[in-house]
Amino acid sequence: MPKPECEEALDRLFEYIDHELPDEEIHRIGDHLKTCPPCEAEHQINEKIKRLVNRTGHDEAPDELRMRILATIRASRDVGATD
Amino acid sequence: MSDVAEFDFETEALSYMDQLYAAALRMTRNGADAEDLVQETFAKAFAAQDKFTPGTNLKAWLYRIQTNAFINTYRKKQREPKRSDAESVEDWQLAAAAEHTSTGLVSAEDTALDGLGDEEIRRALSELSEDFRMAVYLSDVEGFAYKEIAQIMDTPVGTVMSRLHRGRKLLREKLRDYAAERGLYERTPVKKNKDGEACRAQA
Repeated sequence: MPKPECEEALDRLFEYIDHELPDEEIHRIGDHLKTCPPCEAEHQINEKIKRLVNRTGHDEAPDELRMRILATIRASRDVGATD
Repeated sequence: MSDVAEFDFETEALSYMDQLYAAALRMTRNGADAEDLVQETFAKAFAAQDKFTPGTNLKAWLYRIQTNAFINTYRKKQREPKRSDAESVEDWQLAAAAEHTSTGLVSAEDTALDGLGDEEIRRALSELSEDFRMAVYLSDVEGFAYKEIAQIMDTPVGTVMSRLHRGRKLLREKLRDYAAERGLYERTPVKKNKDGEACRAQA
C-alpha cells in the first residue's frame, strides 16, 4: 500500500510548486517533504525544471517591431483627432 | 472615477510588448510570424480597448487576444505535428504514481540538468505540442495563476492542470534524453535500493 502522505504530496506537487494550494495543504505537504527524501527529490527536480524554463523565456521585442507598432497607433490616433 | 481617467491604456498595454513577443515566439516558433502576431495583437487590443475594464488584469486580457489571434490566423498555416500527445483519456494522476523511483536516480537526473544549456531547454519546450507548450510557458515564464491560464486558453482549470502535468512530464523526459545523449545521465537504473526505494514503492 502506498503511503497516503506520499500520494498526496506527489499528486499535488505541481500545484504546490505553482502556489495554487490553500495554506493548510501547503503546510501539510511541506512538512511531509521535510521528512521524505524521495518526495523531496521529486519536488526539487520539478522546481529546478520550472526555474530552467523561466530562465529561457525572456526575449525582447525587436526595436523595428516596437517602432512599427507605435507608428500604427499614432497614425490611428491622428485619424481620430481629425474626425 | 479618477482611477479610470488616469488609466493610460496605451502606455500600460505597450509595457507588455516584450512579454507578448516572447510568448509569440513560443507560439509561432518563428521570428517573422511572432512579429506579425504581436502587431496584430496590439491592433486588435487598441481597437477593442473600450471593452477593457480598468482595474482588471490587462496582461491576461492581452494574452487572451494574442492567443485568439494565433489560433485564428497562424495556427492554420503552421504544420502542427499531430495533436496525439494533447490530452488523451490517459489518467495523468495515475501516471504520476509511477514516477517515484529511487532517490539516487533522481539526484543523478537533477545534477545532469545543470549541464544542459538554455538552448536545450528552449528546444525541449518547442518540441511539445502547442497546448502543453503554452500552458507550461504561461505558468513557468509568465507566472500566471491556473485561473488566468484558463481564461487565456479559454479552457477549464482542470484542463490547464492536466496540460501542465503532462507537458511537464514530457518536458522532463526530453531533458532526460538530451542529458543522456550528452553523456550527462545514465538512463538505465543503477543499483536500486542503494539509496532506498521511493516511499510509495516501499510501502
